[in-house]
Amino acid sequence: MSFDFDYLLTQWPALLDGLWMTLQVSALSILLSLLIGVLGAGIKLFRLPGLTQLVALYVELIRNTPILVQLFFIFYGLPAVGLKLSLYWSGVLCLSLWAGAYQIENLRGGLATVDKGLREAGAALSLSSRQFFRLIAIPIAFRVSLPAMLNTAISLLKNSAYLQTIGLAELTFVAVDRIATDFRAIEMFTAICVIYLALVAVLALLAGRLEAHLQRPFQQ
Amino acid sequence: MEFVIENWGFISKGLLMTLKLALVILLFTTLISAVLGTLATLKSRTLRWAIHAYVELFRSIPLIVNVFFIFFGAPLLGIDLSPFAAVTLGLTLWGSANGIEIVRGGLLSVPRHQWKSAWALGLRPWHIYLYIVVPQSLKAILPAYTGLLTLLVQATSLGALVGVGEFLKVGQIIIERSTMMGGVNPAFTVYAVVLLVYFVICSALTWLSRYLERRLGRQPRLPQPQS
Repeated sequence: MSFDFDYLLTQWPALLDGLWMTLQVSALSILLSLLIGVLGAGIKLFRLPGLTQLVALYVELIRNTPILVQLFFIFYGLPAVGLKLSLYWSGVLCLSLWAGAYQIENLRGGLATVDKGLREAGAALSLSSRQFFRLIAIPIAFRVSLPAMLNTAISLLKNSAYLQTIGLAELTFVAVDRIATDFRAIEMFTAICVIYLALVAVLALLAGRLEAHLQRPFQQ
Repeated sequence: MEFVIENWGFISKGLLMTLKLALVILLFTTLISAVLGTLATLKSRTLRWAIHAYVELFRSIPLIVNVFFIFFGAPLLGIDLSPFAAVTLGLTLWGSANGIEIVRGGLLSVPRHQWKSAWALGLRPWHIYLYIVVPQSLKAILPAYTGLLTLLVQATSLGALVGVGEFLKVGQIIIERSTMMGGVNPAFTVYAVVLLVYFVICSALTWLSRYLERRLGRQPRLPQPQS
């Protein structure tokens, strides 16, 4: 069986539609996961009673269970008890919750590097604790956590392929759907592998640029 | 909860399959990671580049695409793969990409002067590697590698998608059966139980990873794999 490139050209519009859905779901989920990350890391930092334990449990639960089972739980399990979400929002919820747990840990790691001496220095300059967090702790923590946070965002993009299993028409779904009728598995999977590779490479490149940009004030 | 008792034999079979899958993949992953991870620390530029390309390739492609590619693609190339073999192959390729990075990082974390001192004492390169460098690198490698094992166990759930009768698949079959025969949909409870069981297994592994990290003292942090 030879590699049929012309076949891929005919399927290009469908693949583009799938790619668009993948990008849309991923971008929205990345934003929401960052929100969860900031909230969770804040709760952990200020040691809010009760909530801190809840956040810790959430992080452990997400990190120690397969994302596939989390997705099935959200999409098939929750409707059984009356909580029905659309296909799209089930996917967004799953990806955001998954990446959010990692973002909490990433940010917490960054905040942990903010030195005690800095806080004392801030106090000596008569900064309030809120000013200290806004002006000093957060900018430093973000720079330290950035590589890990961008990695999580890239992982989220890859994991959006799991949404194929519940039937959301993203890139992998389009490919598998076409294979069921045309049996062109090698062509289709090669095509989406190249697309995913390109996406990850572009994101990694942008991430590198951003890191270099943010490091500039610290270089001699 | 009665479905747990009713289906106990079936459930334990699924769990055993999950563990079998994880162990087989762990074995192959360890072999490949040890060999290629070591080769990646050598001077040859071509070798390093080739291994780097392999690592980046399998870390960039979604795991589910990787497994589907092998499962649906192999028959078209005239290769007959069972679902078990397809999942094992897919997860091993992905797992070793992560494992290679851990082994390479661990070996490189051993200070250069350890090589030089051993060389000055007249040890052969092979002996230096085996008796001086590997034992020290294990301190950095073991916690990260246990973390990878957690991800491997989680990733075996992909078996359910191509028809391996592992734990998640068993859950799906139980849901189908009860919905068709009893008219009730136990999806919520079944998936909650499945989540809980994975949670117990992976938490134990995560705990082991943290314990090793504490026990072995401060080591250079290796890149943490992510699914």
